[in-house]
This record gives sequence, structure tokens and C-alpha cells, in this order.
Amino acid sequence: MEVPLFFTRVSVDYPGKPGVLKNVALDINAGEIVGLVGQSGSGKSTLALAALQLLRAKGVQASGRIDFQGRDLLRLPENEMRQIRGRDIGLVLQSPLASLNPALRIGAQLREAWEAHARGTDAEWQAHVRELLESVSLPSDAAFLRRYPRELSVGLAQRVLIASAIMHRPALLLADEPTSALDAITQDEILELFARLSRLRRMAMLYISHDLASVASLCHRTAILHQGEIVEFEETSRIFSHPSHPYTRRLVGTLHLGDREFA
Amino acid sequence: MIRRLFLLATILAAAVALPARYAFAQTSNNELRFALRADPKTFNPLLMADEPSETVSYLTHGVLIRINRATQQLQPELATSWKVTEGGRKITFTLRQGVTFSDGTPFTSADVVYTFTSMMDPKLHSPIADTFQVDGGPTTAHANGKYEVTIAFPAPVAGLERLFDQAPILSASASGKEASPGLGPFMLAEYKAGNYVLLHRNSHYWKHDAQGKQLPYLDAVRLEIVPNRDLEMLRFAQGELHLINNLDADSFERMAAQNGGASNSARDLGPSLEGEQMWFNQVAASPLPDYKKAWFRSTNFRRAISGAINRHDLTRVVYQNHASPGVGPFSSANKFWFNANLKAHPYDPADALRRLQLDGFHKSGPDLVDASGHVVEFSVITNAGNQSRERVAAMIQQDLKQIGVHLNIVTLDFPSIITRITQSFDYEACLLGLVNVDLDPSAQMNVWMSSGENHQWNPAQKTPATAWEAELDQLMKKQATELDPAKRKAAFDRVQEIVSEQVPFLYLVNKNALTAVSPALGNTQPSVLRPQVYWNAETLTLAAPAAGSKQLAMK
Amino acid sequence: MTRTMARAILVLTFLAAILAPWIAPRAYDHQYRQAVNASPSSQFPLGADNLGRDRLSRLLEGARVSLLLAPAAAALAVLLAAIVGILSAYLGGVWDRLIMGAVDLLLALPWLFLLLAVRAVLPLNVAPRLSVTLTFLLLGALGWAAPARVVRAQVRALLDSDFLLQARALGISPARVLTRQLPPNVAPVLLAQFCVSVPAFVLAEASLGLLGLGVSEPLPSLGSLLRDLESLPALHASLFQQAPMEMAAMLAPAAFLVLVICSFQLAFPQQEICS
Repeated sequence: MEVPLFFTRVSVDYPGKPGVLKNVALDINAGEIVGLVGQSGSGKSTLALAALQLLRAKGVQASGRIDFQGRDLLRLPENEMRQIRGRDIGLVLQSPLASLNPALRIGAQLREAWEAHARGTDAEWQAHVRELLESVSLPSDAAFLRRYPRELSVGLAQRVLIASAIMHRPALLLADEPTSALDAITQDEILELFARLSRLRRMAMLYISHDLASVASLCHRTAILHQGEIVEFEETSRIFSHPSHPYTRRLVGTLHLGDREFA
Repeated sequence: MIRRLFLLATILAAAVALPARYAFAQTSNNELRFALRADPKTFNPLLMADEPSETVSYLTHGVLIRINRATQQLQPELATSWKVTEGGRKITFTLRQGVTFSDGTPFTSADVVYTFTSMMDPKLHSPIADTFQVDGGPTTAHANGKYEVTIAFPAPVAGLERLFDQAPILSASASGKEASPGLGPFMLAEYKAGNYVLLHRNSHYWKHDAQGKQLPYLDAVRLEIVPNRDLEMLRFAQGELHLINNLDADSFERMAAQNGGASNSARDLGPSLEGEQMWFNQVAASPLPDYKKAWFRSTNFRRAISGAINRHDLTRVVYQNHASPGVGPFSSANKFWFNANLKAHPYDPADALRRLQLDGFHKSGPDLVDASGHVVEFSVITNAGNQSRERVAAMIQQDLKQIGVHLNIVTLDFPSIITRITQSFDYEACLLGLVNVDLDPSAQMNVWMSSGENHQWNPAQKTPATAWEAELDQLMKKQATELDPAKRKAAFDRVQEIVSEQVPFLYLVNKNALTAVSPALGNTQPSVLRPQVYWNAETLTLAAPAAGSKQLAMK
Repeated sequence: MTRTMARAILVLTFLAAILAPWIAPRAYDHQYRQAVNASPSSQFPLGADNLGRDRLSRLLEGARVSLLLAPAAAALAVLLAAIVGILSAYLGGVWDRLIMGAVDLLLALPWLFLLLAVRAVLPLNVAPRLSVTLTFLLLGALGWAAPARVVRAQVRALLDSDFLLQARALGISPARVLTRQLPPNVAPVLLAQFCVSVPAFVLAEASLGLLGLGVSEPLPSLGSLLRDLESLPALHASLFQQAPMEMAAMLAPAAFLVLVICSFQLAFPQQEICS
């Protein structure tokens, strides 16, 4: 059997709040899109931050293991971990405008992301950024690069964020509620973009969301997280057709109801 | 925008601090009001060392002998007569009979003995006791009868009568009380800290006027505590205060301009005993370089610097002509002791340069250099915050620049100045005020004796460093032991002559005594001596305020 | 528009300050003793001071002294505040407590005695210009503690922000975060602190004159010119009607300082912070 690209068996306790994640077992294969669904507060974001070892700064330690390309990320020293962040594993956060540095121009932010793992001439950078921005359907002209985040719409900002996350062609992209701040149309566009990028770049993706509909349209497999535990992890189609856990059934139920009402 | 406006407002507020307005108490009509700069530190006259305490004591306590501030002559008060014996070692007073304290108890020799015994008690640390301690030994008092007292000094004191102007007599029957009954024209009635001291007329006061009417004429004196000179001016202008003892020239001019001459309440009383002086550091052990020590010890140098200063400009520009060029330790205000043959050093830069050339100084371009080529540059320290003094320094700076001398002005806090001029001797020249409270040169022994701690230019010498300092020592000793006033005067005239020739102090200006007296105040005889306006408080009168004046404003 | 004007004013002011010796109508220190307290006239555009010195020339020279040195001192203080504040917030934990403890200690120090000690060490024959430069340097070197607290609070808030989390997730090194990501977000705070510090230092320098530091005669500074205004409240209110020209001339240094400070505030973009 093929060794998965990403594999977790991880528990996380916050100071004063134990059991945020309880022995969460997930695996993602290369190029695969896995959905992680749960209510807010169920620990979804914690998993993404744990994978990137970004919990340490908050004084939180994850236990268990998080394997990525055969290495246990939880046991990597900080300097090696930093090499993985952004280069091998990308992260897209929930609110695009808050996730961009308000005081830096778009061009500067992207260049910072590039220079975190690459070195090159201006010309190389220009070529790179043009291709990158085109791949996320953003303009690449100088005027656009000179803009500040506050001059962008939410949708454009999210594309910029995605662009910086996929800058170095990571093998895995962690997307934490990437569409929750967007309107329905923009949301569809972003989902399409994820699907295309994953396909074209053979990029695996952990798509974290509380929105079942978007998960249904994007993910190959889906895990349901409830109170820090994975209660179900199956082919997406199977989750929707034969939900086994009561919580999953309730989730799927609301989705159908919603479909009927808003279709 | 609000924040910016706020910032702007803050800057403006910082730039122009506005005076606070005080609330005024209801006052009676025959009540004299003037300002104290601070709260009195004590109501015990034996412990007073601050001006507010002295004011209260002056008005509430009596003395054996008073120096008449107008004539500068001795005047009998609680003593009707006195006799100095044993070459100035003893003085015997005959006391006034039938005098009672403000509490009604009779005044006798026991009170005088009690006063001097308490004063000399080392445990009390009375500042007044210092005046009576001659050669370290104590002074003793002895009653020869109910109305006769002898005070014995351990050594002869020249002109010792004047000391008794400073010694308020306390009541033996009220020992231990801080605010004891007094023999003065007024008595303490009420004190509100930070607000006012109210004195009521002493109904037991012994003095009567020529018509036999008991003094004082005033019913009360209200001493308002007004820490701010500007506020004092304002309240005087509004008629809420009746006098200001001591005005600076700027305030005086402003007041004169506002009054427009008609009801001119600002009075220039002519030369006072106060002035400004500068001196060079001549201490051998000072940390100054040798070539500078040589400059400062040269009489030619000191005399040249003195002559390069335009004193007339100082009096005109800084004091707006309410001052005269400084001559010596005493001004003409001291009628007896001032040496009238002396003149202020005239302004003569050419003469200054000529004197400097005698010592090998010469011009090199715009600069003056000494014989070994050092550019003449020195610093003068002065206390920060005295605007007139700082302006005097700035003017001297420009005057000296004309003969190529660079003067650096360093303003320091007072404690630092005292440290430098008394301990570290780390200074080159010092500019400070000169205040003489005592008219008698004996009070200045400490200044002119080469062994004196206040021999500022070179204090506490074991043997006189120069011949002229040796001569000063002799003359001062002579005037202190000689009892004949004419011989004493001759000795001190010579002291003033030597000082003028040798220039240990550069006397710059003598300030005039400037006071403000309300037209409502009668029988005033303002004096250049402290306390200038209210020294004859018992005979002052107040006219009923004119109708429509601001004083009528009722609550 | 406002910004352009503010910048123009700043440029003009600084030009005037730098060129003071060449454009001043008279020597700032010469006492025209026949013109003491002269009213504004063609000879003395802002009148003469109480020693007969030309007020306009003194204002220009004072501006030269204060406007070149106070911003330099403020910049020094703000730079130190930025370094300390950012480090303290970034290192966090024990380091944060240690550094902020040191800042509190610094704020609680008896400054008077420290400055007295400085004066005691300095020689007495210091040229006025050197003395005032040293004073401003001292103000800058000592004035960083209060702004450091403000900077730290701001950085603490920024460190919890999504965009720094995102930056770390992109693999951007801590050094780059500290030098590239944080500073532009702290800049508005620093600018505000700078703008507050400049007038504070101008006035502080003047009050240090009481300790023998700061400018000394005959050199003026904006602060020492402002100190002359201390006697203003004593002037009767009617003087304002009688002699508006004299009053305006006396208030010129204050007006000038206010103008410069406001221009500083308006000349730079005020960035909104979203965190």
C-alpha cells in the first residue's frame, strides 16, 4: 500500500482546555483533497496549526505524530520546520484581509514569501510572480503590485493569499475555512481555483470547513470532526449517501434541508 | 483631528501657563492686608529663619531696642535706657515699666532673662543665638531687679546694641508654648495653612500716640499667603492688598505705567542694601589650571575686568534706572558706614586693556591672550531662574567680548553653586546677589577676615594669602574691638578702599528699594531697610475705601 | 492638499533654520542697548528683546538650534523605543517582564539627580552650542522609556494578528518578521511618539537650563525663547489691546512651534491599523 503524504495521529491540549484534539487520525495522499468538517470550536484550525508547528508560539504542545513525506513534523527542530513551512506545506487562513500585512504592498508581501525560500534576480522574480498571479487569475501589472491590501476586495485578497501560499509549489496546502468570508459567487470561483490548482500541480489539500456543500463539491474524502475526535472518515460520496455517525447524519440533514430551501 | 487639536491646546497651555484665581475672604475695613510668599515655618520667634516667620514675629513681638528704619538710629522700645560697660562686654538695660504682654501679664526682667536663657540653650538650635555667640562662648542674662537686666558677652562686641533689634522678648509665664503672648502691636488670632495668617490688634500694647491714643491704629493685619509674585501684583492692583515690600524693576515699571502717575502707588525709595556682585576664584587648591589661577590672582586682571563692564548700561537696561553702579559692600543706603569718597569703577575698555597689558595680556586677532598664549576664556556660574541676574550676565558677556574676553555663562541650581563655591572650588567666577541685613560691619567679620568661611574668593585661609588681605584682617579686628564710632568708621572706610583697589568682589549694581503702597495706607514712611513698608506698623492707618472702588465688592 | 501645505511649511521652516545665519537680519546675540524692548519696526521686524537683541534673528537662530536637534533627539528616542519595545514584545515571557521592569525602573529614576551628576561631570567652559547638543542627545538617550511601553503594547497586539501567523506559515524567518513585517505596522505609533517627543524635548531642554544644561547665553533655543513667555500672565490683559503688535511678536516663538508640530503631524500619512 502506498505511504500517505500526510498522516496524523495527534492529540492537542490547551492550557486549561484539555482534549481539543483527541488522537486525531487523518491521512492524505499526494494530490488528494481531503475535507475536514466540524463546528466552530471543534478543533479544525488547531490541526492545521499543529501540522505547521505554529502552536508552539502559544505555549501549546501537540502529542502523538504528524508524518509528512516520511518525517514526523512534531519532532523536527524549528529551523527545519521553517524550511517546510511555505515551501512544502502552504497555509491559507480564514479572513483574507486580516491575513495580509496591512502596511506592505501586495508586491512586497509576495516577494517576502518568495524570498523566504528562494533567491533570484529581479527578472526571475518578475517572471515568477507573473506566472503565479496568472495561475490564480490575478492581474500581474505593476499597478496591482503596488496596491495595499485595504485597496483590494475580499475575493482578490484571498487570491493573493492563495498565491503566496502556493508560491513554492507545496506538496500540501492547508486551507482553513478559506471561503467563509466570501460571497457565494466568489466562493465558487475560489473553490474552482483550488480544484484546478490541485489537479494541475498535483497538490494535496486539507480543506477545512464547516460548510458541507463546498466540501461535497471539492473533496475526494471527508473527515467529520466532533468534539476533538474524528467520528467518520470516508469517501465524500459515501459520507453523503450513507452517513453512519449520528452527528454526521445531523450535518447531512441540514444540508439537504438547506438545498431545498435555497435552490 | 480632535487629537491634533488637543495636542495644539497642550502646547499652548504649556507655553502660556495661566495664573489661578484665588477666592477672597470677607475682610473688615480697618484691616491691613499684604502677602507672604510662603507659610511661616514657625510661630516661635526664637526658631525663625524664614522671612514669613520673621514678619509675623516683627508684628507680634517687642524688642528692647529698635533700629529706626528711617533714621537708622537706635530707639528705645522695651528698654527705656541702656549702658554699655566693660569695653563692650556688658550691656545693662533699664526696662519700661507698666508694660503688659498681650495676655495681660506684666513685663519684667524675668521675661528678658527667660528669653536670653532659652535662646542660648544649645538644645534649641535657635538661629538668633548665632548672632549673640561671640567667639563661640554663650551670652548670659542676669536680672539686677524687677526692671534692670544685664546681658554679658564672653568678649567685647562693637556696636552690640544693634543686635537687640533682632531679639524678640518672650513671656516667662508662657514657657513652652509655640505661639506665646508678645509685646508687639498685634497678636496672632488665626492661621489657615496655605491661606492666611490673621493678626488682631494687641489691646495691651504699650505705645500711645502724641494725643495719648493707644496704638496701633489698625484693627487687624491679614497676611495672605500668595506664592506667586504675579498674583501679588494683580491683587494689589485690584486693591485687595495694601502694600508690596519688594518689587523688581520690571514689575515696578509695569505698575507705574498702569497707574499712569495719577495715584502713583509704586515708589522708588532710592539705593537699598541689595546688589549684585561677582568674584573670581582665588583658592590656591582649586582644580583650575595654573595659568587661570594666575589670572584670577592678578589685581590688574580683576580691576581690568571690572572696568570693562558697563555698569551704567546694567542699571539702565536690566533695572530700568532703578539701580546705581555698585561701589562696594555697602551702598549709600547705609548712612553711617558707607565710604562716600569711593566711586564705582568707571567703564573704560581702553584702560582695561592697558591694565591687562601690564600683565602681558595682548590682543591676538579678536581674542585676548595671556603672556603664554592662552586665549582668555572663563566661565561664570550663577543661580538659574533669576532673570535679572541672567540678563546682567549676558550683558557682561557682550562687554567682555569687546576686549576679546570670552565669557561662558553657566546657570546652576543653588545647591550646586554652594557646593562649588564652598567645597569643591570647581568654578572660575561666580555672580550672586548681595544682601545686607545688618548695617554694622561687625556682621561682616566672616566675609573680610581671611580665615572667614564667607571670605568667598579664598575662604578659611590659615594665614592671609596677600598683604592686602592681612591688612583687611587687622582693620576688621580693629573696628570690632574699638568702641569709638569715629575710629571704627575710619577702619572700615579703609576696608572699603582696599576692596575697591584690590577688587576681590566686582560690585556691579546696587538696586533701589522698590515698593508699592496703596494710597489708602496712611502714615507710611517706607524705608530701604527691611521691613520696608510696615516697619512702623503700629502707626499705619487705613483710609475707608472710596465708594465704587473694587474693595467694596461684597460676597 | 493639507499634506502638501504641511510639507511645504516643513521644508520652508527647515530651510530657514539651516540658513538662519545667512538670512537673519541681524546677529542674534548683539545687544542694541538703545533699542531695549523696541516695538516691531522695519529695523526690528519682531521687535527687540529686553537686552535689545533682534527677536526675529533670535527666533531663526532658536529654530536652528531646536528644530535641528529636537527631531534628532526624538528620532533617537523613538528608534531606541522601537528596538526595545519590539524585542520585549517579541521575546515575551521572562524577557518581556525583565525589559519592562527595566523600563519602569528607568521611568522611576530620580532624573534630577542624574542630570545634576551629568552637569557636575561636564566642564564649565562648554561652548553653548555643544552644551545644547549634548543636552538634546541626553534627552534622546533617556527619553525612550515611555514610548517603548507604547510600542510594546502595539507589537503585542500585532503578534496575535493573523497576518503575522500567515507570515510565519509562509516560512518567513523571525528576523525578517522583526525587520520587515512588524516595523511598517509600528511606524504610525512611532510617528505619533515622535511628534509628541519633539515639542516635549524642545520644552524639556529649556527647563534643563535651570540645571546648567541646555542652551546658555547668548545662544537662544525655541525653548529658552518660550521661557520668556513665563512673565506674560503678569502683563495686564489690557496690554493686548494697547499693544497687539508687541504681544504678537512675543508670541511668535510659541506660534512657530505649534505650526511646526502641526505640520509634522499633517505631513505624514496616518495609517489605520487593522489587527
